[in-house]
Amino acid sequence: MTDVVGSKSPVIAKAGRRGLSEGWFAWALIAPAMLFIGVIVAWPLAETIRLSFTDANMGGENFVGLANYEKLLHSSKFYEIIGRTFFWMFLSVGLKLILGLIGATLLNAAVPGRALFRVLIMPPWVIPIAIGCIGWLWLYNGHFGIVAGMMQRMGIIDGPFEILAYKNSAFYAAIVTDVWVGTPMVSLFFLAAMQGVSRDLYEAAWVDGAGRWYRFRRITIPQIMPVIVSMALLSAIWTFNSFEIIWILTQGGPRGGTTTMIVDTYKTAIGNYKFGEGAARAVVIVVLLAVFSLIYLQILNRVNRKYGVK
Amino acid sequence: MATLDLNKITKSFGTAHVLHGIDLAVRDKEFVVFVGPSGCGKSTLLRIIAGLEEASSGSLVIDGVDVSAAAPVDRGISMVFQSYALYPHLSVFENIAFPLRVQKLPEAEVQAKVGRAAEILKLTDKLPLKPGQLSGGQRQRVAIGRSIVRNPKVFLFDEPLSNLDAALRGDMRVELSQLHRDLAATMIYVTHDQVEAMTMADRIVVLNKGRIEQFGSPMELYHHPATRFVATFIGQPNMNLVPATVIGAGAEGLAVEFHGGHRMTLPVDCGSARAGDKVEVGIRPENVTLGAGLTMKLRVLERLGGVSITYGDMPDGMRFCAALPGDTVVKEGEEIGLAINPADCHVFDANGSVLRRRMAPALAA
Repeated sequence: MTDVVGSKSPVIAKAGRRGLSEGWFAWALIAPAMLFIGVIVAWPLAETIRLSFTDANMGGENFVGLANYEKLLHSSKFYEIIGRTFFWMFLSVGLKLILGLIGATLLNAAVPGRALFRVLIMPPWVIPIAIGCIGWLWLYNGHFGIVAGMMQRMGIIDGPFEILAYKNSAFYAAIVTDVWVGTPMVSLFFLAAMQGVSRDLYEAAWVDGAGRWYRFRRITIPQIMPVIVSMALLSAIWTFNSFEIIWILTQGGPRGGTTTMIVDTYKTAIGNYKFGEGAARAVVIVVLLAVFSLIYLQILNRVNRKYGVK
Repeated sequence: MATLDLNKITKSFGTAHVLHGIDLAVRDKEFVVFVGPSGCGKSTLLRIIAGLEEASSGSLVIDGVDVSAAAPVDRGISMVFQSYALYPHLSVFENIAFPLRVQKLPEAEVQAKVGRAAEILKLTDKLPLKPGQLSGGQRQRVAIGRSIVRNPKVFLFDEPLSNLDAALRGDMRVELSQLHRDLAATMIYVTHDQVEAMTMADRIVVLNKGRIEQFGSPMELYHHPATRFVATFIGQPNMNLVPATVIGAGAEGLAVEFHGGHRMTLPVDCGSARAGDKVEVGIRPENVTLGAGLTMKLRVLERLGGVSITYGDMPDGMRFCAALPGDTVVKEGEEIGLAINPADCHVFDANGSVLRRRMAPALAA
C-alpha cells in the first residue's frame, strides 16, 4: 500500500509545477501584500520625499531643490521643536514604563478581585482618545476643573488657574494625559510577560531567602527585560508621533509651548498650506525615527543575548 | 545532625483534603523517599516541609526546633525543583551563587563555595555558560549545586529526575546516591517512580490518598508490604493478586483454595481469618517457576534477555504475570503450569490488610 502512494506522489507534484513556475508562484503569493504596502506606505512616502523638494502650496508647485531643508537647518525655532519633542518623548515614555511596571506588578499580585482590576485598567486605552481628551479638557479647566479646584483647596494657587493657558503647565498637562492614555497597554504587555515567568523561579528564590524586592529585581526585571525594551521602542515611536492629544488639548499652544515635530508638521502643511515645507519636516521625522530605531534595535539585540532569549 | 519530625500534618485546599494527619520521623543523614501515585499528596507534603505551603494543622520540627511558622529560608532546608528552576538570564556560576548573593556573603567566600560545589558536581568548566547551553543532566546538577552551597540541614528533591531520559536517569540515580554519601546529609526525595525509590532510599514512605500506607526500608516494603496497595506499588512487574477462599486456619498457616480448585497452605499468621472468608493471595511474578500448580494460557511473551515476562489468563479469566528465566522455552497461545512456593505468597484480607508472613527473608536492620 505504502509503495503505491510513494510512487504516485512525485507525479502529482510535477503536475502542479507545470502550471506555474515556482518563482512566479511565489510572486503571486506575495503580490497582494506588496500591492498593499505599495499603496499604503511606499507611494505616500515617495510622494512626501518628492514634495519636500518643491514649494508646493495651494497655488501649485515648483522644484526648489534643498531650499526647504536649508530653511529648516537655519531655523532656531525648528531646533527648539526637536528638543521639545525628544523631551516630550523621553519624559512620557519613561513615566509610562515606570507606571506600567508598577501597574503590572500590582495586577500580577495575588489579591482578591484581581480580574476586576485587570478590566478596570483598560478604559483610558479603550475609549476613543478624542473623548478622553475632552474629559481632560474639563479637568484642566481653570474655573470648573477639578485639578485647579483641588490646587485652590490645598492652597497651592490663589484663584482660578487656566492650566492649559501657560507654556509649562500646558506641556506637563499634555504629558499627564498622554501617560494616562498610554500606560494601560504598557501595563498589559508587562503583565503578560510577568505571567510567562515560571512560578518555580520565584519559589526557588524564596526558599533561598530572597525577599520580594530582591526577587523583583533579580528575577522579574531580567526575565521581562526583552519585553520592556521592545515596549520602550514602540511606545517611543507612538509618543513621538502622538498628535491627537496635543491637538485636542492645546493645538500646540500656548505660543508653541506644546508644539512637537508632528504638530509642527501638521500646522505647516495643513494649517498654512505649505505642503512642500511640511513634507520636508515629515522627512526629517522619518529620518530621526529611523536612526533612533536602528540604535534601539541594536540595544534590543544585545539585551536579548544578555538575558538568554534566542 | 538533622532530624525531621512531622506531627499530625494535615492539609486542605478548600473542601479538598489532601493530607490526613501525617506522622513521620526522619533520622539524621537518612535518605527518605516519598513515593505514591499522582495526587497522593507527596509533593504537597514536601512543599509543606519546604515552607512553600502552610499546613492546615500539625507541626514540623527540624533538629528539635518547631519551624512550622518559619519562613523557608529559616528552616535550614534547600530544595531542588522538578523544572530545575534555573534562572535563564544568569550564568551557571551566578545560578549556583544565588543563595549566597542573597545572604550578601563576601565575594571570596562565594567564589570558594561555588568552586567547591562545581567540583563535586563536575561543573567547573561550565560555570561561565548560561543554563540554556547545558544538557538536561547538567542543568539538574546546577540545580543541585545551588542547594549544596547553602549547606542546608535537609535537602528536598521534588521529582528531580522526571525530565531526564531513561539512560541519564539511571546515571543520575547513582550520582545522587553517591552525593548523599559524600555530603552525609538528610535528604527527602519525592518521586512517583518506584525504581528510584527502591534504588536510592534508606527508607521509603508510601503515600496513598493523603495517608502513609507504610514507612520502611525498601526490602521491608518488598517482603512485608503492610497493605495491598503497597504490595502492588512496589515491585516490577506488579504483584499478581489472585482471589481465593479460606478453607482452614491453623498453626501451620492458612489453607486456601483458588477458583480452579488448586489448594495451598500458606505460612502466614491467620489472625481473624476463618474458613469461608474471601482473601487475595499476592504472588510476585519473579517468584513463579514453570511446574505443577496454577495454570494460565500464555497471551503475550516479552523477552528482555535475562528474563522473559509472560502475561496470560487463568482458567477463570484472571490476568496473571510471571517472570521466567530468559531462555525458557514457551510459546504464545500455549497453556503453561506455574509452580508457586507457599512461603513466597502474601495474603490480604477483604480490607486490603496483610496477614503477616512467617517465612520471609530476614531483614537488614
